[in-house]
Amino acid sequence: MSLGQMRELVGIVGKENFTDTLEELVPYSYDASVNAHRPDCVVWPESTEQVSEIVKFANDRRIPLVPRGAGTSLSGGVIPINGGIIIDLSRMNRILDVKIEDRYALVQAGVVCDDLNRKLAKFGFVFPPDPASSSVATIGGNVGSNAGGIKGAKYGTTRDYVIGLQVVLPTGEIMNTGSRTMKCVSGYDLAKLFVGSEGTLGVVTEVTVKINPIPRHAMTAVATFESLEDAGKAISQTMTSGILPSVMEILDKVTLKSIKENTDIDLPEAEMMILTETDGFTREEVEAQMEVILRLFKGNNPSLIKTAKDERERVDLWKARKSAYATLARISTGFVLDDVTVPISKIPELLVGIQEIAKRYGLVVATYGHAGDGNLHPQILYDEYDREQVEKMERVEEALFRLAVSLNGTLTGEHGIGLSKANYMMLEHDAVEMAVMQSIKRTLDPNNIMNPGKMSLEG
Amino acid sequence: MTVGLGFDEQQRKAVIQCSRCGFCRAVCPIFDVSKRAGSNACGKMILLREVLDGKLPVSEGVAQALMRCTTCMSCTVNCPSGVEPQEVIKAARKEMVGLGYDNLFKAMGEVVEKYGNIYGEDERYDWGHKKGKAPYVLFVGCVGTYREEESVAETIRLLDLLGVDFTMVDEVCCSGVLEDVGYHVKEEMARHNVQEIQKTGARVLITTCPYCFRVFRDHPSYKDLGLDVKHITQFLKDFDFRVKTERRVTYHDPCDLGRHAGIYEEPREIIRKIAANFVEPERTRENAMCCGSGGGFRGTFPRDSLKIARNRLDRIIEETGAEILLTECPSCLHNFRNAKLRRQKIEIYNITEFIAQLYREGASREKEAA
Repeated sequence: MSLGQMRELVGIVGKENFTDTLEELVPYSYDASVNAHRPDCVVWPESTEQVSEIVKFANDRRIPLVPRGAGTSLSGGVIPINGGIIIDLSRMNRILDVKIEDRYALVQAGVVCDDLNRKLAKFGFVFPPDPASSSVATIGGNVGSNAGGIKGAKYGTTRDYVIGLQVVLPTGEIMNTGSRTMKCVSGYDLAKLFVGSEGTLGVVTEVTVKINPIPRHAMTAVATFESLEDAGKAISQTMTSGILPSVMEILDKVTLKSIKENTDIDLPEAEMMILTETDGFTREEVEAQMEVILRLFKGNNPSLIKTAKDERERVDLWKARKSAYATLARISTGFVLDDVTVPISKIPELLVGIQEIAKRYGLVVATYGHAGDGNLHPQILYDEYDREQVEKMERVEEALFRLAVSLNGTLTGEHGIGLSKANYMMLEHDAVEMAVMQSIKRTLDPNNIMNPGKMSLEG
Repeated sequence: MTVGLGFDEQQRKAVIQCSRCGFCRAVCPIFDVSKRAGSNACGKMILLREVLDGKLPVSEGVAQALMRCTTCMSCTVNCPSGVEPQEVIKAARKEMVGLGYDNLFKAMGEVVEKYGNIYGEDERYDWGHKKGKAPYVLFVGCVGTYREEESVAETIRLLDLLGVDFTMVDEVCCSGVLEDVGYHVKEEMARHNVQEIQKTGARVLITTCPYCFRVFRDHPSYKDLGLDVKHITQFLKDFDFRVKTERRVTYHDPCDLGRHAGIYEEPREIIRKIAANFVEPERTRENAMCCGSGGGFRGTFPRDSLKIARNRLDRIIEETGAEILLTECPSCLHNFRNAKLRRQKIEIYNITEFIAQLYREGASREKEAA
């Protein structure tokens, strides 16, 4: 970008909302993935109108634009791979309206998930999608990546809660789409099209989300299994039993071993640990559901079952699951955290396949995640300063994606395609589908300024 | 060949251990007011990593970025990857100074050496308390001596009321803060303090400042001190106070006392004795938000430092509805008092100062009744 162009941008957002200082651009060259590229500048707009002017400016001059929330993407979703302008929406962080009686909240894109939920909790309500990064992740980022979380099987993902959006289109026009109603079939559901579009179709500036009452009761249990097959059966029998657990998390053998060896958490040796929770509005409802789960678990040869009698015990049972990411992050200098998702019945096959791949390439792959919706997180440990290991990591990832797709699964359940998985889009989507996606992209963003290079949309 | 940081392998590992999850955004007081990705720990670890990898030259910009940290340690407590950013940043600041990127603390170091305090003040406030031999020594530190003299006067009055036989000394700056901003403790000043304190024949050194407390307790330059070092909250926790307040009271954990020194219970034990209506802020103990004054930040970025203190006050008022905010750190006290706006309806005291005032109120009531 030229100096004159930078000056024009300063004219739009003001000096305090613009930077092209090298040392400020460096942190904006990264996210939580392995990708990196420098932007030319960063702007912090404070209003939708400013965003619109920025986008018009960029579209006129064909300058790439990357909208960014907290930058916690695990797939390179916010890496400005062609340079250009980062639009950091962190300063558009006002909760505009909470309408408990109409069951929705209207927020600016930069509102942090936990901040919204702190406010809603005062009314006994919650915005349910709960990514692990919710203490920092923005609602706009959640929309861009269709973020999910631990309670996805029962409560769905961001898409299930977005009912309306304000979007600055790639031409700079401001579009308000969706409704403030619980139901709406008026025209194409454009709001849902933007959920998960990773900033490739425009800049989301305001989001209307449905909100849920917070369940008053929950029960927690943990079980370990010596055989993957037994654990798999316990999961699929639970998920088809008629009750719906709010949590159904698993930790594989490698993850359990890492936690056992590197923390003071006492864990049994096992092929798999399952952490499960039921929730509801009466104690009876919660207990009745847990009874079913425990009966089904017991029928599949568990080596251990524990239930929590109080909050302290509940926290204790959650410890291993909560420490998985941190433990693995600490024992390795580098890692890639994937999010392949398969039909629930295929989880045991996926886990066996992952270990075969890990063995084939000689890397450690620890897997944990959300068995209730088939969304697992294989964390591939490697040394990013070792070229050979980097190559191995890439091969492991490719094999992993091929395996997931061969099991009728998907490359990504909640992290998004971004840059990391862009090259594998064709594994999952055929030419017809890719052509439709590319045509939507071209229609809305003819000059390909919005987050270019992502999702393999450039054909 | 560009000049790089002389980090050893262990320090390099500490930098690359950051997984860029960005969780430190939620707890960084500076990010809270700036919303700039470079201001939280993750941003600084990315910068340092590029410097170490030879992708980014060492520059004034890097030096400036590294100064934007209060070393409050909140990121460390919340880091899943086990990074201790404030230690990395302090080490990097020293390297930067070594490479010639002198920050304004070079001048502060000179001032400390010349005047014996961080403010370059000629005259030291004298509370008229006894000096000489006693079982206890009270060390006040720069902020208390030169900026919060009245608060310290109340602390002294409380110790007198409680019958503590203590002495004060001809103290100079402990100079520990220089370690945080790229320099080192001034050995000569440390020696002076050690000698003055030892001359009293005291067994216990009491500090009002949690930073001085850490320096006396932990810094190698003070290893020959030979006294039991206690923060004043540790010293007073077993005392009985004959005063009480019914007003709603809350407490702010100073970073230097809490996260850095692990002292959370003692101040609370004291407060529970004197306040029936004690409420905790939402962010408290190891998750307490910094007041914005540490690590040289107040000196370098005064406007942002005040903004951080103001935000902390706003949240404390909203979350607790308290009338009284207590802390026990002259720096926190000073920054909060400077930052407080008229609309922020809360009184701010050090715990010891507040208790002394309760005694005063009690005495004046008794007088009226008589």
